[in-house]
Amino acid sequence: MSDAERTVAGESAASDGVPVDDAAPSGTPAVDDVLSVRDLSTRFFTEEGQINAVESVSFDLREDEILGVVGESGSGKSVTALSLVDLVETPGRITAGEVWYRDADLAEEFRGDDAVRVDGDHVDLRTVPPSVRRSLRGPSFSVIFQDPMSSFNPSITVGEQIAEAVEVQRRARANPRSTRSRTQGYGLGKLLLDGIVPGRDYTSEESMERAVELLGQVGIPDPEERVDEYPGQFSGGMLQRAMIAQALAGEPDVLIADEPTTALDVTIQAQILNLLKEIQADRGMSIVLITHDLGVIAEMCDRVCVMYAGEIVERGTLDSVFEDTVHPYTQGLLGSIPDVDDPRARLEPIAGNVPSLVDAEMDDRCYFADRCPKAMEACLDKPPEATVDAAADHGAKCVLADREYDPADALPDDYFGEAGEAADPDDGAATDGGEGE
Amino acid sequence: MVSSRVIRNLKKEFRQSGLAKLGLALVVLILLTAVFAPFIAPHNPTDQQLDQSELPPIGFSETSERTSSQMVDGEIQTVTEEVEVTADPDHVFGTDGLGRDMFSRVVYGARTSLVVGVLGTVLAASIGVPVGLLAGYHRGRVDDALMRIADVSLAFPSLVLAVALIGLWGRAAVNVPDPFVVAGLAPEMPESFVLPITVVIVVGLVNWVWFARVARGEALSLRGQEYVKASRALGADDNTIILRHVLPNAITPIIVLGTVQVAAIILLESSLSFLGFSGTTLSWGFDIAQGRDYVSSGQWWIASIPGLAIMLSVIGINLLGDWLRDALDPGIEGEGGAA
Repeated sequence: MSDAERTVAGESAASDGVPVDDAAPSGTPAVDDVLSVRDLSTRFFTEEGQINAVESVSFDLREDEILGVVGESGSGKSVTALSLVDLVETPGRITAGEVWYRDADLAEEFRGDDAVRVDGDHVDLRTVPPSVRRSLRGPSFSVIFQDPMSSFNPSITVGEQIAEAVEVQRRARANPRSTRSRTQGYGLGKLLLDGIVPGRDYTSEESMERAVELLGQVGIPDPEERVDEYPGQFSGGMLQRAMIAQALAGEPDVLIADEPTTALDVTIQAQILNLLKEIQADRGMSIVLITHDLGVIAEMCDRVCVMYAGEIVERGTLDSVFEDTVHPYTQGLLGSIPDVDDPRARLEPIAGNVPSLVDAEMDDRCYFADRCPKAMEACLDKPPEATVDAAADHGAKCVLADREYDPADALPDDYFGEAGEAADPDDGAATDGGEGE
Repeated sequence: MVSSRVIRNLKKEFRQSGLAKLGLALVVLILLTAVFAPFIAPHNPTDQQLDQSELPPIGFSETSERTSSQMVDGEIQTVTEEVEVTADPDHVFGTDGLGRDMFSRVVYGARTSLVVGVLGTVLAASIGVPVGLLAGYHRGRVDDALMRIADVSLAFPSLVLAVALIGLWGRAAVNVPDPFVVAGLAPEMPESFVLPITVVIVVGLVNWVWFARVARGEALSLRGQEYVKASRALGADDNTIILRHVLPNAITPIIVLGTVQVAAIILLESSLSFLGFSGTTLSWGFDIAQGRDYVSSGQWWIASIPGLAIMLSVIGINLLGDWLRDALDPGIEGEGGAA
């Protein structure tokens, strides 16, 4: 295939069985998008060099939907989540991109402010002051983390910690948009005493009552008694419920669940997922569900983003991604799931490892090429970008998005040298078979 | 945070360790002595009775030969005479060169030492802990700047720095009325306690670095905790997180350090008094300096008794600190940990 043909390939994706919705060009968020992320890049500046953890990621989160983000460890899922809420720790930094969040009041407030990009009801959170971004954590965004055991302070009761989240929001509402609102009206001195004097409570009665209520809502029996227990007295599943209660304290529009079930055993996983679904249905919020478990995605999500090496390589509705899979990586992930109906079928793991994300070591070619069973010469150049339009119903960042795979085009097996050795299934099993569990 | 587990560990450690008992006993003794000094001291520690000077402590009466040069018939002669020095039961620890009761002076000296030790530590901690927590929590340039300042202060010998600061600011002292005496309960005793305020400030400024380093280390490790991240994700601001989640979990090593610092500051205060940089004359270090000249002429007690008092209080406080460390920090001794 010549270069000229390949350039056209991306644009013609819509006509080739992979439909692209042209109504919403990337850059402007659609009205029903709660969150529109455009070209978000997060880099870590370490001593080993620049690490491109998130590379030009774009996606939309619609109202009342559960959006799945799936990928191997190290594919940039969690950093994407942290980037959304601006919680990337140094040496990491969001280097580019837009995060459009729909909030009519906020848009009104910043309309006319030259420094802040506003589009209709959407505001680009990357341009608002840091204090405003922080004030959105809780009432707009909440995060559920992977390990409930370490996400609670072991020396404070669970109830206190949920009440703290309630209290933070209560104080913020009492003193809206003030940079120091959370400590103002409370006093650093009182806060200090609460911190070190035993028996003093940071939280108010009302917040405690609300904490009991929230614990009840997430299905913890005897919430009145359990609020006074310490995290060590809760089981993992209970703590994950408590963390969901904590996340609900601010009544967020967007809940980001970062591998919420990874640390739990399978029966508890199902309970937690059901709980998340119920809560989503009851409250009508949007959830970004990050997981490496395609089974969880299949059960929970409306739409899916598949991430690889910091990029979204395939996106679309659940059915389109699972049924009309385009990207060989997605096919590989799906192939790594054991088939219950055919226990003798061999799992087909993806060979090799996630590539290094150190900038200097990254090639210009498709990052998956050296592991890709369908790699061809066309993959050695930059893969087509246009096919992963954020607003598209289905798209993949792959040359195969618009054409059938022809085994005749395949590169020789040993083309990538060492990577070819890793293509031995026994080696590969250790890396990706595990992910699919 | 004082939880029931902490109290249980404290009790267990206390039962097992004889040194902890000794330390607590010494500290309680010194504490009581300092507080109730007007009732414990038999004499006013500043009253001079020149006719009763240089009396030995009880049990050390002795006849000694005293050699002096005298003018005999117009010539200077060395005369040796036998002098009987008998201990006076009224002065248990003897008297100093000006006839002041050593026991009363040691009792009152405890006040100075403890007040300076505790206030100095509180000051050092109230500078060092916030600095350390902020540096460790925020990292980056704030951290670099604060910790370089700390390194520079550490590189200075603390005594030299303290002497320099006192030289700069002078020796200010505040008279604090003694409530017992004011109430007429101990009319013979000094009406006010002299608080050497400059010394308190200086020892605080010299020792804040230790607190800053410990607090920073704790903050550095705690900021990476998932629950700190979770709290941020839920909208808490930095001040709330530092005071709610970082400080309470960092308080144990800070308390342990604080105890040890009290002892270190008592030593520093004694050194300063010994060198004459204190604002009070009722201090163990001051008495050692006074008694130094008498050691060679046989009146060892004037310097040794306050020296003993310093030693016992420093040992006592350090033993107490060890006990707290062993009980509060289960990581150090495996058996103490109730994982």
